Amino acid sequence: MQDSREVTDSILNRYSRVFELATLQRIAREYGIYLAFVILVVALSFANKYFLTQGNISNVLLQTSINGVLAFGMTFVIITGGIDLSVGSVVALAGIVSASFATTMSVAAAPGGPYPVFVALIVGVLVGVASGAIIGPIVARFNVPPFVATLGMLSAARGLTLIYAGGRPVPALTPQYRWIGTGNVFGVPAPVVIFAALFLISWFVLARTRFGRYVYAVGGNPRAAKTSGISVVRVRFAVYVISGGLAGIAGMLLAARTGSAVTQAGIGYELDAIAAAVIGGVSLSGGVGRVSGALIGALIMGVMNNGLDLMGVESYYQQVLKGMLIVGAVMLDQRGKQG
Amino acid sequence: MKVIGSLLAAVSAATLLASPAMADKLKIGAAVYGLKAEYMQMWTAALKDHPAVKRGDVAVTVFDGNYNALTQQDQFNTMITQKYDAIIFVPIDAEAGATPVQAAHDAGIPVIGSNTRVHSDLLASYIGSDDVVGGHMEGKSVLDRIGCKGNVVIIEGPIGQSAEIERLEGNKKALAECPNVKVIEDQTANWSRDEAQKLMENWLTAHPGQINGVFGQNDEEALGAIEAIKEAKLNMKDFPTAGIDGISDALRAVKAGELVSILQDAQAQAQGALDLAIFYAKKGDYKPESEIWAHYKDMPWHDGKDKIYNVPWTPVTAANADTLLARRSKLGY
Repeated sequence: MQDSREVTDSILNRYSRVFELATLQRIAREYGIYLAFVILVVALSFANKYFLTQGNISNVLLQTSINGVLAFGMTFVIITGGIDLSVGSVVALAGIVSASFATTMSVAAAPGGPYPVFVALIVGVLVGVASGAIIGPIVARFNVPPFVATLGMLSAARGLTLIYAGGRPVPALTPQYRWIGTGNVFGVPAPVVIFAALFLISWFVLARTRFGRYVYAVGGNPRAAKTSGISVVRVRFAVYVISGGLAGIAGMLLAARTGSAVTQAGIGYELDAIAAAVIGGVSLSGGVGRVSGALIGALIMGVMNNGLDLMGVESYYQQVLKGMLIVGAVMLDQRGKQG
Repeated sequence: MKVIGSLLAAVSAATLLASPAMADKLKIGAAVYGLKAEYMQMWTAALKDHPAVKRGDVAVTVFDGNYNALTQQDQFNTMITQKYDAIIFVPIDAEAGATPVQAAHDAGIPVIGSNTRVHSDLLASYIGSDDVVGGHMEGKSVLDRIGCKGNVVIIEGPIGQSAEIERLEGNKKALAECPNVKVIEDQTANWSRDEAQKLMENWLTAHPGQINGVFGQNDEEALGAIEAIKEAKLNMKDFPTAGIDGISDALRAVKAGELVSILQDAQAQAQGALDLAIFYAKKGDYKPESEIWAHYKDMPWHDGKDKIYNVPWTPVTAANADTLLARRSKLGY
């Protein structure tokens, strides 16, 4: 038989172990993905001597910038319980329309072009915003499931791209326009600066404003949000406009980087953006997620792609690894929730 | 039985009488694998620019296969039920293309292959460019410029596509002539400019100062590599680069001295195929009308009897880039 003291000790012991486990799980759930990122970076820097050089870090950020920008917009949409499959096609449409305002080649140019660079940039953002403003009411007012509404836009925007450009690329972009893809600010590539600025803005809007809280409320429990006086329709409309606008910016970055807007641009980008958000802990059932998570998700994908390229791993293996990463990240997330 | 026999005879006589009137305008269908990229659009523009089409003797309908073998098969069935006089076929897949060719053959409709091969001996004729030769020419143009020594990288097309397989075979043939040249990286960028750009950025990091030449298996990929080199503030003169196809962006890069492109002639492949299609639809009673036969002395018409017509490749240099661009703008490009 045990005396009372022993009993108390064992109970205390058990509780403290449970306490530790819970803390660990909480930490793993909150910061697991950041930890995974650090481990990946450390492992790759041992595996390849060029990985942690300044030039390569700049490359990784450059290569992540477009997917990252799309993932920020996707995060807003997914938190409201939606999805935006149209962003890849909107990348192409916004890229080609805006490029046509900034090309020196007369056959591809918008009438009267080339225009000053700011006109072309505004046009690109507007094209993205407009496509979001079309999806918004379809989802928010007419209650078409976001998957369907944005799938429709995926097809329609691609078609409009081909119609607008007559299927041809828009090359010969003005040096001012190309600057947003190839220029730099104090040695930092311009797309990375834009990427960082959009991260800060997106983070601020989602984490620090009333609108941000509404986005979580709508995704967590739309009915409760409605009864507490939030205009669910307006919030839903706004997230598709945000996602569309960011896709427009991504499209211009792509065109400016490659030097020519092509009609096939952005095919499959929507899936990479969703993957980045999901890896970063944004829950597809809505209500949960952070812009910083999407950033880390995009960086993990970019770092993996870059690191495996440096080591000469064939892209087919890279696709398998990417698939495992997406599923693994969500499994980790689910376990964290149950614990 | 006799009644039926005479009925049949009457019907066939009526058909015979009717057919010359209908044959005034030949109905020819072109089933192409997809119209999203520039090359097939140039091909289509050239097809519609053929003298017989412009005169109105031939009505051509272009079917967009949307990169799907099954869609192409369905389009063949449509053309068969609508009794087209001939079909021009640019398949997405050499193996899957054999089934619709068989169906058209069974219905008595001649099929002319263009641009991409089909593994079928039922094609009436085929006109295209030998990708092995193209791959060899681009390889040689890079290797000549690096003096047959050093390291090169190869940016491949989607693995398993016939153009990728054959261009790689040509690349390797050129490399075999320079045994001292090493291939230090070799991966696919799926014909895409931005994928190739990423790949080249990473390779330039992994092999600083070691890459001496770049084989892009198409122009898009070569142009992506050029962007990566320029972005890294390196001198294009140190990276002899070649691509294949001769798309308009590439012709401009050639003029800037950044690239050698091996032109695949869309006009010759399209208009040559249409000449062959009309020839077979009219059962041999036809002389070709496209200017391409006069242009390519190495590809004689031979009374339409050849099974394979090989359209020669043209290396694009600063000297002929302008002429080619001018010819293209005539077609609306």
